[in-house]
Amino acid sequence: MNGVILDMKGIDMAFPGVKALDGVDFSLRAGEVHALLGENGAGKSTLIKCLTGVHRMDKGTILLDGKKIQPSSPQDAQHLGISTVYQEINLCPNLTVAENIFIGRQPMKGGQIDWKTINRRSQELMRLMGVNIDVTLPLTTFSIAIQQMASIARAVDINARVLILDEPTSSLDEHEVARLFEVMRDLKAKGMGIVFITHFLNQVFEIADRITVLRNGRLVGEYMADKINKLELVTYMIGKDINIIYDLKKAPQEEGAQVVLEASNLGISGKVEDISLHVREGELVGFAGLLGSGRTETAEMLFGVLKPQKGSITMNGEKLSASSPLDSIRRKMAFCPEDRKRDGIVADLSIRENIALACQALRGFMHPMKPQEQQELADRFIKLLSIQTPNAEKKVGELSGGNQQKVILARWMATQPDLLILDEPTRGIDVGAKAEIQRLMLEMCKDGMGIIFISSELDEIIRCANRIIVMRDLEKAGELDGEDCQQADILAIIANEEKEEAMT
Amino acid sequence: MKHGLKWETLLRSKLFWAVVAELLILLVGFIIRPDFLNIQIRTLEDGTRVLFGTPIDILNRSSEITIIAMGMTLVLALGGTDISVGALVAVSGAIALKFLRWDVLVYTTPGDYTVMPFAYALLVPLAVCTLMGLFNGTLVARLKIQPIIATLILMVGGRGIAQIVTNGKQFTTQYTPFKFIGNGSILGIPLPIIITLVVVVAMLVFVRRTSYGMFVEAVGINPNASRVSGLRSGVIIMIAYIITGLLSGISGLIYSSRIISNDSNNAGLGYEMDAILAVVLGGTSMTGGKFTLMGTVVGSIIIRTITTLVFYFGIVSEAIMAFKALIIAGVIVLQSEPVRRAIARRRERRQMNLGGELHA
Repeated sequence: MNGVILDMKGIDMAFPGVKALDGVDFSLRAGEVHALLGENGAGKSTLIKCLTGVHRMDKGTILLDGKKIQPSSPQDAQHLGISTVYQEINLCPNLTVAENIFIGRQPMKGGQIDWKTINRRSQELMRLMGVNIDVTLPLTTFSIAIQQMASIARAVDINARVLILDEPTSSLDEHEVARLFEVMRDLKAKGMGIVFITHFLNQVFEIADRITVLRNGRLVGEYMADKINKLELVTYMIGKDINIIYDLKKAPQEEGAQVVLEASNLGISGKVEDISLHVREGELVGFAGLLGSGRTETAEMLFGVLKPQKGSITMNGEKLSASSPLDSIRRKMAFCPEDRKRDGIVADLSIRENIALACQALRGFMHPMKPQEQQELADRFIKLLSIQTPNAEKKVGELSGGNQQKVILARWMATQPDLLILDEPTRGIDVGAKAEIQRLMLEMCKDGMGIIFISSELDEIIRCANRIIVMRDLEKAGELDGEDCQQADILAIIANEEKEEAMT
Repeated sequence: MKHGLKWETLLRSKLFWAVVAELLILLVGFIIRPDFLNIQIRTLEDGTRVLFGTPIDILNRSSEITIIAMGMTLVLALGGTDISVGALVAVSGAIALKFLRWDVLVYTTPGDYTVMPFAYALLVPLAVCTLMGLFNGTLVARLKIQPIIATLILMVGGRGIAQIVTNGKQFTTQYTPFKFIGNGSILGIPLPIIITLVVVVAMLVFVRRTSYGMFVEAVGINPNASRVSGLRSGVIIMIAYIITGLLSGISGLIYSSRIISNDSNNAGLGYEMDAILAVVLGGTSMTGGKFTLMGTVVGSIIIRTITTLVFYFGIVSEAIMAFKALIIAGVIVLQSEPVRRAIARRRERRQMNLGGELHA
């Protein structure tokens, strides 16, 4: 056990009614990247939160460099040399990059804050990350990726022994991920121990030296990354065979099925230039394209979250004019937004209330559903979607990501829509839940629902879609038949900008 | 296990601690003056029998704040605030008294005077206050003005309007039906208590029997998600301000009836702060989200109990405010997240130890 800097042993932690961690061991060596894997709700975040003092564990010991520690707060953990970079960026958007890096520990000179040093050091740190920017500009000026780099720069400068990266890559593009990995390798070489949490298995194999898998709050095992393959890993994570994913079959598309939704020439300048599309009954239309290609904006226009400046939307033969979500719901449309936390869940309300919300909005508050009716509705969907919870009264905010997504899906299924728009429904959720959500989509299609499915994962789209619309630069760049489509076909459309333009 | 869980939820709930605080304050009162909790039935000169005693007095005098705080609870749960309520109390009283003006009254029966249907003196103030609530709601929900700024307009302007209505004069009235609102009693129970009870029950029914309460909480917790789910947050916010306006009007009628006069400068002075405090003491967070109307009722009673107790202590009137603040600080500390958690945790631990012994 040479070079172990962090050793967690027999960690127990219970929330009211749920045992979140049950005798988990975890050890981190100096100069390694150690991936922490598991499905949502497996206990990864809880383990990290015990380590960083957010939660207090019930049992177990943490040794840092052989000395017993018990961090009482994230600040305390930071002083001990344990830094964390969270998935959501925990910085102040209105402060400058430099201020963010040094906030709370500004170097002083003659009783005043030494701005010169702050700005110079920040510039150096960011350059170390491979980013050359003006650090005296507000954080919001920069992309999410650069903001992420700034929070890592902050963590690194605290001279951490242990760096925890909690899903740092979920909002980064490929290029940015590569740069992050360079930084990670660099830090590793300097002897830092890095805990890496992610849902992207490819990234795990690319960067991690060692892998620890958790399932249902228990340790499954610790593996060397070069001695395990992807299939084994997934099997350990979900505790069952991965083949459930590959058993999915596309819903057959009936000839001449009726058009449910038709949109023509929709556009908002600067967001989506001009898009026309239609969805038929029982058809699953996949939306592919890079982040920022206008996919989400299109979905939001269709549902009335954004007001289009031009164009028209026809739903079941009736023209939509109000551009309000309520109006769209009345016309039997439904929309699972991309940002689950911001636009999806109402965290402090119960599962029951969250599921009933859209149905109730449809009825108006003066015509309430009976409590019993709500209860039945919730219980039905908890069972149907196998939402993991002791009862329907649990707050949605306390569920794992995958279960939250299912609650939102239930909210919309309860309204019995004819058209369902799903924007990245599988992002940030684990393999098992992903498969379940895809299975549900396909089943709903079989029952005649039209679905628009937006995803960044091409294999997901190819697996499920009858037809694929590819977006590029705020425009529809092409349309493919889902039956015999290859990943390369989609990538070609995304990439071949010039060629396409030359042809038209 | 189930029993333990229930205790834990109770120990973590702010409402529970608000009730505990109220009981503690009452206990202190009882220790100082054993007659503090006495309730008697007294016969008045005109032969009516009335309940009498400090607890009745506390309930009676807390009416104005309790009624306003019902609306304020919704406003705060939506992440807003309404600081115009005190001024609306003054407006309501001024208009009511304008309709009962001494100098234009017509003699009817000995001791009674009237010139117009009495209903005007009640309905016009309520209508005006409701419209003022609509005004607040429009500024907040439609024009997206920050609630504290939006309601500041009527906080300042309301007292001005009250002055204009009465030409800056203070009227009094001897009209018996009007006096009855704040001073009368039915079956021995002071009328303000009965009005408060009716308002509280009506609000509970409206909020929990319809889905309005759930919508308020949803919008207060996550406005974006609520919009995407089809809630019309504008309408929901508007209703909360309208209700608060109407309730301020009712409160104003009770207040002006008590003093059988209008007082544009002092009527409802500081009510906005007391109402907000009642809501917060009751356990509803000022940042919006989940709310509890019953908590607010307890909060309002706490405030009144403290004031009464301070009089009992015989503390010089100059020090009353400071003393009140001291007790409120104590209550808030008792309710604060870390303290509640610590107490719940201690209990849990004790129970775990007990459980361990049982198993061993």
